[in-house]
Amino acid sequence: MHALFLAWQYLVFNRFRSLTMVACITVIAVLPLSLEVLLDESERQLLARAQSTPLLLGAKGSALDLVMNTLYFDDEVPELISMLAVDELLATDLAEPVPLYTRFNARGFPIVGTTLDYFEFRALGMAQGRQMALLGEAVLGASVAESLGLKPGDTLLSSPETVFDLAGIYPLNMKIVGVLERSHTPDDLAVFTDVRTTWVIEGMGHGHQDVSQVTDETLIMQRTESGVVASPKLFQYNEITPDNIDSFHFHGDAREYPLTAVIVIPDDTKSSTILRGRYLEEAKLNQIVLPEKVIDGLLQNIFRIKNVLDAVIVLVGSATLLALVLVFALSLRLRQRELQTIFKLGCSRATIAYLLAAEIFIIGLVAGALCASLLYVVDGYSSDLVRTLFIN
Amino acid sequence: MKIKILGLILFLVITGQFATAAVADDRLRIYTVNYPLQYFAQRIAGEHAEVVFPASPAIDPAFWTPDVDTVGAYQDADLILLNGANYAKWINKVSLPRRRLVNTSTGFAENYIDAGSGAEHSHGSGAAHAHAGVAFTTWLDLRQAVRQADAIRLAIIKKRPQLKAAVDKNFAMLESDLLALDAELESIVSGNQNQALLASHPVYQYLSRRYDVNLHSVVWEPDEYPDQSQWKTLENLAQTHDVKWMLWEGEPATESVENLKQMGIGSIVFDPCANAPAQGDFLSVMKNNLAELKSAF
Repeated sequence: MHALFLAWQYLVFNRFRSLTMVACITVIAVLPLSLEVLLDESERQLLARAQSTPLLLGAKGSALDLVMNTLYFDDEVPELISMLAVDELLATDLAEPVPLYTRFNARGFPIVGTTLDYFEFRALGMAQGRQMALLGEAVLGASVAESLGLKPGDTLLSSPETVFDLAGIYPLNMKIVGVLERSHTPDDLAVFTDVRTTWVIEGMGHGHQDVSQVTDETLIMQRTESGVVASPKLFQYNEITPDNIDSFHFHGDAREYPLTAVIVIPDDTKSSTILRGRYLEEAKLNQIVLPEKVIDGLLQNIFRIKNVLDAVIVLVGSATLLALVLVFALSLRLRQRELQTIFKLGCSRATIAYLLAAEIFIIGLVAGALCASLLYVVDGYSSDLVRTLFIN
Repeated sequence: MKIKILGLILFLVITGQFATAAVADDRLRIYTVNYPLQYFAQRIAGEHAEVVFPASPAIDPAFWTPDVDTVGAYQDADLILLNGANYAKWINKVSLPRRRLVNTSTGFAENYIDAGSGAEHSHGSGAAHAHAGVAFTTWLDLRQAVRQADAIRLAIIKKRPQLKAAVDKNFAMLESDLLALDAELESIVSGNQNQALLASHPVYQYLSRRYDVNLHSVVWEPDEYPDQSQWKTLENLAQTHDVKWMLWEGEPATESVENLKQMGIGSIVFDPCANAPAQGDFLSVMKNNLAELKSAF
């Protein structure tokens, strides 16, 4: 007890040296352990999202692009598939399809075109307002609503794909009808709308004046018994309202309308295996991927990088520890006269060893406590940190 | 002793209430897009489902559009029964859970009838529309109605596998009723295959095909007196096809009936029963239709 008191007094008296040693030990311990915590959390988050998505159907090509776009709404748009893929899946009677069209964005946030099944599948509840009901309505992820300061009743304009896309897609002013509960997943950072609304944004569906009723002949290019050909001058609505919703219609074969992916929810394990087998055929233009397997592959690469980082940290840590040992050994040499005085006062060599051990113990204890506190903070914020640093 | 008996009664009442509440909670909520599907679903599911078609009885369900609250009710349903054949176009402009949608006519989609491009018109204050594209009164071919009912049976069993025995039994009874009507209708029409009929509205295409009825349509409203051009069209059709009878969707205006009578054309009400009847049910309406039709054959 006396040894601890004397050691404490000594460390307090040499506070700068003591703090430097505590800081060195803390940093050496905290760095690899924090990295471990963050990587574990990122693995958990990435895998949790992937594991909760049984199968993904998309065009043949990069499985990683398909998974990242569908699960995390990544900017990289995979090759498109058509609604025919959904009909084909339904015809198998082996799984339930949830179509997704994640190509456009609004003020920097991805617009996810889907059906109501998506919300049920991801167990996303409403925090404010109601679920989308009519064409042109949208619900926001919690973070989107917070960032843009939007609430039910406001509107949100879709962004053109490029600034120079003057003849391309028309921006659609979507009516915000609800905000989702925070889920701590990429769903918080998305704008959800009906998949048909995204087709309206794409220009496959539109609403305009009744061409059979217009009196301005400059709006009509050709009028025949079977129909009317309108000129590009004809005004098209950029917002869907109860007054003009009846004028909205789609052109072309609905089975050809585009999707980026389909979440496939098989009835059981056997159905899942059968479906995966069917899409292995060379002739198939689409592929079915296991998101968990794709993300697992991605994580393997991340862990390879982590191993390199670990090796660097071990090297730096070892060098620092050696430096600390050197500092301690040198300090013993500097304290030679002080130690001799203690010896001459009647203390045994063992007591002197106790004193030195008490100093090391106190430095280790303070560094350990500091390290634990920092790790506690990192662990508390790891979920948000991972989403900010790694996923989004 | 009295206290014990009272306690027992109280216990039974309370547990009975809980049991009833549990059954009620477990009932399927089924929403449909027209009355025939509501009738079929209710017959098949019986007490195990609450089947709702929320439109007012005065509305033609084919051209009805629900408000946002009603769409919300559809969204909350366990099953949403669609007629298919492009019926109820509003479903393409609202968000409904695809996993709970059941298109009851998918099984015979390849047999849909092309209705061509019909003239645009409106029913009273209703929205203007045209009977273009695909003919949608699929249930007037009663064998198709059976197939639609079968699709409902399968959807209910998929939702509640434990109800299979009861649902199969109820379906068998409905099937028997519908097939009996089908046989009777076939027998009535076979009495005079050459008999040509006029239809007030182009909604009898499946009836005409299934029972080989020589049918020609105009676009008249039962409660509106037709204008001169409509009469002219009818006269031409009547002369070309030697028509003696006209089918009406609903009770026709007396003036129209009198005028037709003078032209030697009788009037028969054949209600497609797309919406809930004021009296009776789908089966009784169809029986009335058959009774009316007998006078023409």
